[in-house]
Amino acid sequence: MNFYKDHYDVIVIGGALAGMSAAMSLAKEGKDVLILERHNLPGGMATSFVRSGMEMEATLHEMMSLGLKEEPLYIRKYLDEMGVAIDWLRVPEAYRLLSHPDGIDITLHAGRRPDGTWVCADEIDMIYSGTKDEINRLLELCRSVYESVLFLNEHTLSKLEMLMKHEPLVKTAGYSAKEVLDTAFNLPEAVKKILSAYWIYVGQPISTLPFTIYAFLMADYMMGGSFVARGFSHEMSVAMAEKCEELGVQFEYGQNVEKILVRDNHVYGVRTSRGDEIHCDYIASAPYPNTVYGKMIEPQSEVPKEARQYANAMPMGVTNFSVVLLLDKSPEELNIKDYSVFSSDIPFDTDVFWEEGKKIGGWDYLTTICLNYANPDCVPEGMTSLSITFLPLPEAFLDLKADEYFEFKRTVAKEMIGRVSKHLGVDLMEHIQEIEIETPVTMSHYTSDYRGGIYGYQHSMDNSVVGRLEDLDKEFYIKGLVGCASHQLVGDGMACNINNGRIASKAILEWMKEAES
Amino acid sequence: MKVKGFLQDVTGASRVTNARRKRISSGSYLNVYSDPIREVAKEVHPDPFKVRVVYVTDASPTARTFRLVPCEGKLPPFEAGQYVSFQDLRIGDTLTTRPFSISSAPFEARSEDPFFEVTIRKGKDNGFVSNYFYNEVKEGDEFTVEMPFGQFFHEPMRDAKNAVALAGGSGITPFVSMAKEINHGTLDMNLTILYGSVSSKDIILKETLDSVESDRVKVVHVISGEEDYPGEKGFLTAELIRKYSSGDTTYYVCGPLPMYHFVRGELAKLEVPEKRIRMEVFGAPVDITKADGYPECSAQTFRLTVVRGVHEDVIEASSLESLAVAMERAGIPNNTRCRSGACGYCRCKLLSGEVFVPAEGDGRRYADKMYGYVHACSAYPLTDCKIKIIIK
Repeated sequence: MNFYKDHYDVIVIGGALAGMSAAMSLAKEGKDVLILERHNLPGGMATSFVRSGMEMEATLHEMMSLGLKEEPLYIRKYLDEMGVAIDWLRVPEAYRLLSHPDGIDITLHAGRRPDGTWVCADEIDMIYSGTKDEINRLLELCRSVYESVLFLNEHTLSKLEMLMKHEPLVKTAGYSAKEVLDTAFNLPEAVKKILSAYWIYVGQPISTLPFTIYAFLMADYMMGGSFVARGFSHEMSVAMAEKCEELGVQFEYGQNVEKILVRDNHVYGVRTSRGDEIHCDYIASAPYPNTVYGKMIEPQSEVPKEARQYANAMPMGVTNFSVVLLLDKSPEELNIKDYSVFSSDIPFDTDVFWEEGKKIGGWDYLTTICLNYANPDCVPEGMTSLSITFLPLPEAFLDLKADEYFEFKRTVAKEMIGRVSKHLGVDLMEHIQEIEIETPVTMSHYTSDYRGGIYGYQHSMDNSVVGRLEDLDKEFYIKGLVGCASHQLVGDGMACNINNGRIASKAILEWMKEAES
Repeated sequence: MKVKGFLQDVTGASRVTNARRKRISSGSYLNVYSDPIREVAKEVHPDPFKVRVVYVTDASPTARTFRLVPCEGKLPPFEAGQYVSFQDLRIGDTLTTRPFSISSAPFEARSEDPFFEVTIRKGKDNGFVSNYFYNEVKEGDEFTVEMPFGQFFHEPMRDAKNAVALAGGSGITPFVSMAKEINHGTLDMNLTILYGSVSSKDIILKETLDSVESDRVKVVHVISGEEDYPGEKGFLTAELIRKYSSGDTTYYVCGPLPMYHFVRGELAKLEVPEKRIRMEVFGAPVDITKADGYPECSAQTFRLTVVRGVHEDVIEASSLESLAVAMERAGIPNNTRCRSGACGYCRCKLLSGEVFVPAEGDGRRYADKMYGYVHACSAYPLTDCKIKIIIK
């Protein structure tokens, strides 16, 4: 019995956001595409689950670069262009940063006024007076970098044109966020801390986080704000999967790709765990290069040594540890007042938090999201949906044993719940109706991603997006094979992964053109 | 605009590009792939694997316990109360799956000679698979299983340390697992099992239950059909439940569907808060036409088109049975685990036609309802239907 065509133009391994975006873009161009997804749901980590009849968001998930309907940013434009309709809800505040040791407790909101001033600059100025001009100047710089990055996403320029038209991007590209904040701006330490709270959404301390990425993130969050789907992340994933199929993509779930078949340095197909050998000209791969070159390419003699060198040298980004809770009281009754809280139990220092992520537990910087405030209907009346997250490094978990697993997750989760309970002055342990603990092992189980990584490779100064872009064309080590997930150019995040998928599809379309001519 | 100085600023891009090239050139040419986290994930959530029956013993005049060992390697860790799914059961022309609560303890599965047990009463769920097990399965038989699954276990961060189990019929099995684990010192809870049976000879695992009584485990048999039974008589009423509860208590309920409805009502009388009630999923309804909201219509047979990739089959589907059962009768392999509509493993797209989904077995996500996805084990055809399923 044959379930597949004899041949596809493109096989996409992994039906998550990047893979689905690549597939949609390719199918729009009339290409014959097959998506093979190992899980029985689309979306990868952008998913949800149901416990006792109640749906729970898998972890903290926000869509960026949407902008408002009236002022759409590039992700909204792309989804509109593809005809993907999602019921987006704007999240109320950017974040609250709570750091008692620093005496910091401040809530910031997104928004840029027509005169170019920013809402959050005024909010900070209320407490740290006399800082708003510098903050406005910083955020305008961020915005300028953001605009340039988006422009360069679609266009190629000479170095001179770059400098003429995108001076702020060019001139900050060689610096870390910390260098720019320390050198080019006159801001008190506390304000710099406040403006660094989002570091965890890249998982890179600001001392090694390229300013380019910092600026993009700040502008993105502070300009348009972020969004969640009414039907949880699963709504977004299903809406995209539906569109793929509507565009003629064959989308098969429950199919684990074990091997990528290569001949004469060119891919020609895949083999699944079920034993199907399926042929194609091009492959977009969600599995990390480490996994692809380490064990998927068949025969292994087809792996160029440069490819191994690349995969071995790439610095692995963070993974996830989340406690997802349904609580038996309303947020008000539990003293939960905010949608998004970053909390620090020691003086705020991203280098220290980063070091803490190399060990299990003892994490002082937590992200707590109360989904009720973005999506009031996400739980039955009188209940609360709350997630607590830290993003440690995979290296912290390399010695973990299966026998210790249940106890390990509970111990760490308990500590995290305890910290948040302390901030709230309410013992959340007494209110747990449902609890799920997500670890790197969970990530690995559902996605098989290398070492449970969720953010691809580090956005470090020696793996900067600028350097990635410069060498993009050189890093296709096997012809016809392109990476398609957060380990690619733009890195982590849902919006970024849609972009990673589009970049993958562009590469494939260019190869197709070359092959034709 | 300047950061550190014009020249240093404009050469920044080359600086980071060079730093990256330097990093990459430091990488090894060897294949050093290793992913210990993936290895743990595979040990905790293994792919389906083969097990062999090594021992069959009577658990009551109508129930048997089957001890199974892995054909190779280890068994995954699990929580007392979780279930195993028997995959690829071929009975006659039917290809089906069944979930059974594991009646042995987690520590026994992680011992030097790992095993697990399921205890199956004949006649359960129309008796199709349970009778097969009871009558046919013998030592040496091999099966493909997948485990562990289910949310029915003591979660110390959520549940009270004092627990009362409300069990009926073969619903006793997860509590036997819990009791053994408690006595082994690896599950920290106090368990009182209220076990309802019609007559004392129906009690499943009687001897085991006698042997697990300890300072932390108490077993109370509640017999409904024997006038002269010396112990507790009748049903699992609010009064009886109150008698055996002390302080903050979590109630675990496992048994046949009518018992759920009854016990729910009794717990409501005691004003037990929702989070103190844990219910095991209860399988497919015996008669779907009696489910709330089932439309007025007579039993009939529909055409069900099953799409797998580019392949299509057209089979018959009875309105009285789920789409999953229709496929199983036709020998089409499809994924099911809990068979109660909850786990979503049999999620599939309804391409055309109409189905009935009972509210009690509707574990679907919000967006899946919106986009017409159904769980095949809990969707009953009301017209000819076309579905797209996972290629198994």
